[in-house]
Amino acid sequence: MPTSTATRPSDDLTRDDRLELYYFARLTRDIEERLAVLYRQNKVVGGLYRSLGQEGESVASAYALAEDDAVAALIRNLGSLIVQGIRPRAVFTQYMAKGTSPTRGRDLNLHFSHIPDAGGPIVVGPISMLGDLVPVMAGVGLGARMRGRALVAMTYIGDGGTSTGAFHEGMNFAAVQKLPLVVIAEDNKYAYSTPVSQQMALARIDQRAEAYGIPHEMVDGNDMLAVYDASRRAVERARHGDGPSLVGVDTMRMRGHAEHDDMRYMSKPLLDAWKARDPIARYHAHLVETEIATETDLAEIDAMSRAYAEAEADLAEAEPPPEPDTVAAGVFAGDHFQPTVEIVYSPFREKRGTPRHAPASEAGS
Amino acid sequence: MSTDVVMPQMGESIAEGTVVRWLRKVGDEIDRDEPLFEISTDKVDAEIPSPAAGILTAIKVHEGETVPINSVVAVIGGADDVATAAPPAEAAPVIPAPTPPAAPPAAPAPPAPNSLAAADPSATAAVERVRSSPLVRRLAREHGVDLSQVTGSGSGGRVTKQDILTHIDRRPAAASSAAGPPPPSVAPAAPIGPPPVVSAEGTAPTFDAGQSSVAVPMTVMRRRIAEHMVASRRTSAHVHSIFEVDFSRVQQLRKAHGARYEQAGTKLTLMPFIAKAVIDALRAMPIVNASVDGDRVVYKRDINLGVAVALESGLIVPVVKQADEKNLLGLSRAIADLAGRARARQLVPADVQDGTFTITNPGGFGAVFGLPIINQPQVAILGVGSLEKRPVVVNDAIAIRSIAYLTLGFDHRLIDGVVADQFMGHVKRGLEQFEESIV
Amino acid sequence: MAEMTYLEAIRQGLAEEMARDERVYAIGEDIGAYGGAFKVTEGLLERFGAERVIGTPISETAIIGAAIGSAYLGMRPVAELQFIDFVACCFNILTNFAAKSRYRWGAGVPMVVRGPCGGGVSGGPFHSANPEAHFLHTPGLKIVEPSTAYDAKGLIKAAIRDDDPVLFLEHKFLYRRVKDEVPDADYVVPIGQAVVRRPGDDVTVVTFGAMTYTALEAAEQLAQRDVEVEVIDLRTLSPLDHETVLQSVAKTNKVVVLHEAQRTGGIGAEIAAAITERGFEHLDAPPVRLASLDTPVPYNPGLEAAFRPGVEQIVAAVGQLVEY
Repeated sequence: MPTSTATRPSDDLTRDDRLELYYFARLTRDIEERLAVLYRQNKVVGGLYRSLGQEGESVASAYALAEDDAVAALIRNLGSLIVQGIRPRAVFTQYMAKGTSPTRGRDLNLHFSHIPDAGGPIVVGPISMLGDLVPVMAGVGLGARMRGRALVAMTYIGDGGTSTGAFHEGMNFAAVQKLPLVVIAEDNKYAYSTPVSQQMALARIDQRAEAYGIPHEMVDGNDMLAVYDASRRAVERARHGDGPSLVGVDTMRMRGHAEHDDMRYMSKPLLDAWKARDPIARYHAHLVETEIATETDLAEIDAMSRAYAEAEADLAEAEPPPEPDTVAAGVFAGDHFQPTVEIVYSPFREKRGTPRHAPASEAGS
Repeated sequence: MSTDVVMPQMGESIAEGTVVRWLRKVGDEIDRDEPLFEISTDKVDAEIPSPAAGILTAIKVHEGETVPINSVVAVIGGADDVATAAPPAEAAPVIPAPTPPAAPPAAPAPPAPNSLAAADPSATAAVERVRSSPLVRRLAREHGVDLSQVTGSGSGGRVTKQDILTHIDRRPAAASSAAGPPPPSVAPAAPIGPPPVVSAEGTAPTFDAGQSSVAVPMTVMRRRIAEHMVASRRTSAHVHSIFEVDFSRVQQLRKAHGARYEQAGTKLTLMPFIAKAVIDALRAMPIVNASVDGDRVVYKRDINLGVAVALESGLIVPVVKQADEKNLLGLSRAIADLAGRARARQLVPADVQDGTFTITNPGGFGAVFGLPIINQPQVAILGVGSLEKRPVVVNDAIAIRSIAYLTLGFDHRLIDGVVADQFMGHVKRGLEQFEESIV
Repeated sequence: MAEMTYLEAIRQGLAEEMARDERVYAIGEDIGAYGGAFKVTEGLLERFGAERVIGTPISETAIIGAAIGSAYLGMRPVAELQFIDFVACCFNILTNFAAKSRYRWGAGVPMVVRGPCGGGVSGGPFHSANPEAHFLHTPGLKIVEPSTAYDAKGLIKAAIRDDDPVLFLEHKFLYRRVKDEVPDADYVVPIGQAVVRRPGDDVTVVTFGAMTYTALEAAEQLAQRDVEVEVIDLRTLSPLDHETVLQSVAKTNKVVVLHEAQRTGGIGAEIAAAITERGFEHLDAPPVRLASLDTPVPYNPGLEAAFRPGVEQIVAAVGQLVEY
């Protein structure tokens, strides 16, 4: 429900941008489906946390960032990392606890960072304690401002995470300091098994921001362009020194908390209703209806995405586990090796040859 | 039928003994009660007689080795037994023994009639581990020290760092060079850290025995004296007070009554007079006849007077028990008897135990006076200087008198200078105005 | 060289680092115009501006979170906690986020979390904490606690320059009571190095912070009785300088570990264990711990005195070790 006066930044997206959005969402789902297979083959170590049904909002919100901005994803925001160029192989190696993973087998799934000294996308990994990413990303915004970088920090919080004290402290601090922070608050209906009604007495998750004097809006989280528009507006506010914003996304977690969750607490009619609103299927239909792409164009992208995901998974699977004798290294500076995360461009970015939003940003400024 | 010869328990608190010397060798024919070997314990050195007659078929504990009491040190058997004798030095566990001695055989032979140890039921209980510390055990290992040989001055008789360092210091260099490492001071430079591997690699001895010096192991008695003296120095706050005493009257009395004592079988020496004067003074000032026990002062009911006797190899202090109950003749006899037996190495443990005050006599060898070290756990010691005729002022005239200097070494922890001098005043008066009726 | 208080030395060290390196900044509650609850940051706002002296809401988690995030961007934050007791409010983000960051993914968090610790000033249960033990068990976090003005300046500078998070404990009892010579020149006191404050051969007392002075006073009394105590000031509590402690114990063979925090599970237990494990064969007596009682810190001065170890207890403990 964007406000009536709101701009529609998505109007500025080129055809390739729009296809790139589709590709990122598709690739996110393909990676997770590949992971689901590997999980059942016992090749994934520990749990698997799907973002099925939420790929659209992760991808579309992150797509609002400039390439060199900072994003901090939760475990269901794989799409945000894919948009920021994290190579899928890195994600597979993480899930399979490989010695060449971004954490060298020390931490799991999307718990990894990529913080280059200068230039390139910044990814800050989460910790399992929800809420902490909000003050940390406020700090990234603070650091950027102090270092003279016009950088925007984006992070995510679920309906459960907004109940933490850290969320409150971080939001309030960012507001007071007018930091370039964008928080995507996902109402995905359940925090593990707890429904939103037991999480907050508010009608909408974005109302959380009201307490901090932070601008907020609520969007249909399964409408990728709506999410993009709201996120883009928030990013631009942040970049222009207008402080933090919160974008509430109304979406649905279509799987259990993890693959080992039998989902017994979830409402079947609710799941059925949301299945009809699948973000990728909706965006696919939108692209065809608006004649931006044909079924054939999209089938080509689908095939390319699936093949890429499988090839990356195979590469990751062949990677070695960590050497046990590396276990003690790297607690303090001086005895660790810096893990590297490869940043890759999509075929559409290669074709475009310029950073995302470059023309739009110029036009808007 | 063979008889085991065991390490006797020479005193209640004794847990082990050292075989100093074998007087007979394997194969010798031995009479019952014939001196078989010499031992040394914390308390006393003694010659041990054979418990049975027969052939010495096996020696199981070598000279210099320390074993728990009741350990079998030798076997006396019939002439046929020699061939089957067990190899030496295997049977008896050498201290420190991780476990008590092996249980006695199922059907033990009845104890030999005069076996000192066999009668004591508490014998095995006394075999306890020497109390020490990780540091002390390491030093012992590095320097090849048998901890049971070290007198502990720490709480509960624990062997402290200082005890073992003193022990190592006093030992001849040759002994320590065998076991190795560095000088006795606890080296801060010693390797620290995991794992606690201790290097036992060789190191230079403190002395190079050879052209300019000869290193000879200390006798057990020498080591005991060394340890006790150092321990005493560390334990007590030593102070000395010296008094000049006119022995003219004592000399007169000796001259007057000497013959009578001679007839009674003893020589009337200076010592019984001094002992008597000391006993009277101790009775008047019981603090001098006391001990320190932690925070407590222990007053002794009896006055057990130790009299130091110089031997060829050292010094021993036999004790005149309940000396305050003896008259001058009794004192005279007791002192003579103890001195005689000490020189003949025939003291029994009881003879050297429970002293409450000690008299030593450096003057016997010409010293004008000595500054003696207290015999622990006593709190004072009297040193008697040489008796000389000296010119002294008497009633404003110069006179010739028999004079000796008496020194009281006392423990300032318990005894203040005033008390010590009052005590010495008492002794001086007692000697200078000796009651003839006592004699 | 100038004589200054412990507090002034911290302030000077911080100011020098801010002047030396524009990435260094201060953040915390009331640290701006007011200069901080204890006035450690007094004058910094005027000198460096609100951009680099950031007053915050009462939000310890936000303070540490902001420090972490900005450190990722290359800043060198110095976060003040008004009293170190409030570190409990940001325990999670400090231990789970900051301390584990390097090990997990190689991203160092060069930040200092500083605050007044310690009792002896009737601060009561919430203004007297010595929280080192909570953080000793946190791999990835360094802990320092100076006892002199010289060390306070040298260590705050070392902490700021360190590439890992450092918990900088300032003993509030020492803030204005301790005064010593502090060089004008730029210097650091390296993290991880203990120092022998008084040499002695008989018994080692391992301590730090304000207890260093208590130990020195006891050592002075014991010297009258010919007992020479070696006093070690740890200065850094994590990583511990075991070598200095073990070298001293190898000399004295007897050791008292003294600290102001509660006894059970305290840093003394760790030190005693390390001595026992690594220096067992240097010990001539069991290591002795002297610490506060296992209660919250009481308010009344008499109660607090009964709660904390003092000179008498040290003298008694050393005396017992000498006799052992």
